[in-house]
Amino acid sequence: MSEAPLVELRNLEKEFAGTKALKGVSLSFASGEVHGLLGENGAGKSTLINLMTGVYSPSAGEILLDGVPVRISSPPEAHRLGLGAVYQDAELVSSFTVGQNILLGNEPGRVSLNDRAIHEEAARILAEMGIDLDVRRLAGDLSAAEMQLVTLATLFHRRYKLIVLDEPTARLSAAESEALFRIIEGFKAQGIAIVYISHRLREVQEICDRATILRGGLVSGTLNRGEVTEDRVTELMVDRNRSELATFNNGESVLPDVTLEVTAISTARLAPLSFKVHAGEVLGVTGPVGGGMEELARALGGITRHSGSASVRGKTVALATPIQARSAGIALIPEDRRKQALFPSLSVAENICLPVLNSLQRLLTVSPGPMRKYADGVMERLAVRPPNSSTQVRFFSGGNQQKLVIGKWMSAGAAVYIVVEPTNGVDVGAIKEIYDIILGLASGGAAVLLVSSSLRETLALADRIMIIHDGVKVAEAPKKDWTYDELLAVTLSGISRRAA
Amino acid sequence: MTQVDHQTSPAVVQKVAKTAVSSGRKESAAMRFLRRWGTIAVIVIAGLGFALASPYFATVSNLNNVLFSMIVSALVSMGLTWVVMAGSFDLSIGLTVTTSSILVAFLMPVVGPWLAIVIALAAACVIGLVNGVLVTYGRLSGIVVTLGVMFVLDGINVFITGGYQVPIDYGETAFLYLGQGKLGIIGVPVIILLVIFALALIAATRTRIGHYIAAVGDNPMAAFYSGINVYRWVILAFVLSAFMSGIAGVIVTSISSSAQPVGGEGYLLEAFAAVFLGATVLGKGKPHVLGTLVGVFFLYMVDSGMNMVGFPFAARHIFQGLVLIVAVGANALLNREEVHLKFI
Repeated sequence: MSEAPLVELRNLEKEFAGTKALKGVSLSFASGEVHGLLGENGAGKSTLINLMTGVYSPSAGEILLDGVPVRISSPPEAHRLGLGAVYQDAELVSSFTVGQNILLGNEPGRVSLNDRAIHEEAARILAEMGIDLDVRRLAGDLSAAEMQLVTLATLFHRRYKLIVLDEPTARLSAAESEALFRIIEGFKAQGIAIVYISHRLREVQEICDRATILRGGLVSGTLNRGEVTEDRVTELMVDRNRSELATFNNGESVLPDVTLEVTAISTARLAPLSFKVHAGEVLGVTGPVGGGMEELARALGGITRHSGSASVRGKTVALATPIQARSAGIALIPEDRRKQALFPSLSVAENICLPVLNSLQRLLTVSPGPMRKYADGVMERLAVRPPNSSTQVRFFSGGNQQKLVIGKWMSAGAAVYIVVEPTNGVDVGAIKEIYDIILGLASGGAAVLLVSSSLRETLALADRIMIIHDGVKVAEAPKKDWTYDELLAVTLSGISRRAA
Repeated sequence: MTQVDHQTSPAVVQKVAKTAVSSGRKESAAMRFLRRWGTIAVIVIAGLGFALASPYFATVSNLNNVLFSMIVSALVSMGLTWVVMAGSFDLSIGLTVTTSSILVAFLMPVVGPWLAIVIALAAACVIGLVNGVLVTYGRLSGIVVTLGVMFVLDGINVFITGGYQVPIDYGETAFLYLGQGKLGIIGVPVIILLVIFALALIAATRTRIGHYIAAVGDNPMAAFYSGINVYRWVILAFVLSAFMSGIAGVIVTSISSSAQPVGGEGYLLEAFAAVFLGATVLGKGKPHVLGTLVGVFFLYMVDSGMNMVGFPFAARHIFQGLVLIVAVGANALLNREEVHLKFI
């Protein structure tokens, strides 16, 4: 490690609509260092990364690269400066071979291309990284995990100075994670700084030279290798001063009847698991991002292929497609609002009325009057601002968009609501309102499955809590049996200390 | 209720993941064969059928005829291949043929044939450059830009010709040789076509040009993060497309000893059919130069064959249309995605 830091952050602040996501973070990353970044949701990790990769600009403070202040105005600018991040999905050319992908942009030779030379060089790189993969295979045929390893191999030629890896093992098996760690060792040897974001403590202990823990938009501590223990990290992560959220589910709405019963549901990345959710109950499903909880939501929503059976209100239902899931009474409110739940260029009224168009139509036509009336009613109940149902959805803030997504399904009368990361990207002011809406769904008699990586959120809203770690359900217990620290410990390690 | 199940669990998941991976893509040898050779098999079978039905079909002179008749279309289609490879559309190619054709005919009495050709090709390149720049730096959609350019070119063409054809002087023997001359039994334009095809094939498969244009078309984001100048290659694709249409315009003028101010649009539709048919050749699923040439050849072979067997003209279009849908559809079936939600 050299003395002068490669990248230095000085008093970085970022404010969103009056709320400070970062309140003055100073940090430095050295060449050849693997620097872990930990923190609960909302602690400012993603904001920090987005500032370093040019997605946002800081409200105050500066970023120094090799001791010189730089302005990172856009992701391409970050790329030019040598600050790279692995963007999960958009990284490979699917009609090219593995070898062509690895050397894309850096092919040997001048004008003409030598196919054999490309593949030999790529094979050499893969061998060096310890990845056993045929370089002649088409990238489009690879599994998600293989794609991710190849994506990392492409970084070898991009000459980044610093690479951000965000939950890189989320899609990898144990053996593949080992390959990833070897790749990281390779980057270290080249003097590249790695920022390693993970909720898996064992990985941080194994791979990181230092680890910084963020809490409430501030650095709460930086630990050296060897100091990273579960107790230390928990202590630094938990924000004792943060006022508890005003919303709390005290379990009054839980009814005795079982609304959703799932038996041995499993997918390619989820080992079989069973559970029940009662009417009026909120089951919180939590764990590390990519650890399998999202898989569960997608399986129940009819999106991911799965085996096992499910019944809603005592009736066995097939959930092979989203249409079947919907008619079975399951409404999935996905995490990626813009892409998966909303039509950004349509008006609020058109979005909200979509699931209930049948009941609004008269003589096979839907007139704008009733649509607007219905939408205005929903918007008023959910306190969506600005309260204008003819505005296109894309002009609303993240929090208001989230309210609209929930509002869209609310009056459709589903028996089961699956809500995935409901406050991701939502401004602080709107969080409480969204919580109240979710609890409103439960007190209306619906079963709610809350899939969230935020423990605070889970503790506030859930009646029972289930933890999924590495595709396996490791714990399930009523909320009153959990403390925040215990919950954090189990999500970090994947090991439940208490016996059944 | 809290359970401890950690010791055995990771192994379970890993096993689950492994089986999922291995079942990801298994296909029989027959399927693989069909995907690779299906289109070519259909062409061969159709050819054999025509040969059985008509004694004049499988002759050298008919092959020569088919090749000769497809020259202009083949050049335009090969040009369009670059743009579709780059992930865009070019609707202006047909009118680029007309424009270049008119320019050559118009300028020849003034500057002589060779300079006229150079200016016509340069003008074609400028059209491609305008298309490319508007699609990239101008942030406009390829369909919109080239549709607009198509109308503008049509207006200009009709304006400068007054709607009349522009004849070539019979004294321009050297120029007319390009389209009408023969080397042995092979027409000169056929040779020009084959030379350009060879150059295009090399550029597409052996140089950065084809490699990067394909990468940009498949996943511009990945290309961008690999340090490739994405805009440059998209613009180049449009320029190549227009350039090839320009050559086609010069040749069509020479073949017919005149420039026609209308009729260029016909090449456009044929070119799209050929490019998408060609994408299925060898099971690539993406447009490629060789496939496009095979596609054009197929369209013209069917034309000639059905003509000889005595089908009415209308029947040929029906057949060509059906073959296009079946070939592309069968290919899509063999390359099945989990969810199909793209309708362009």
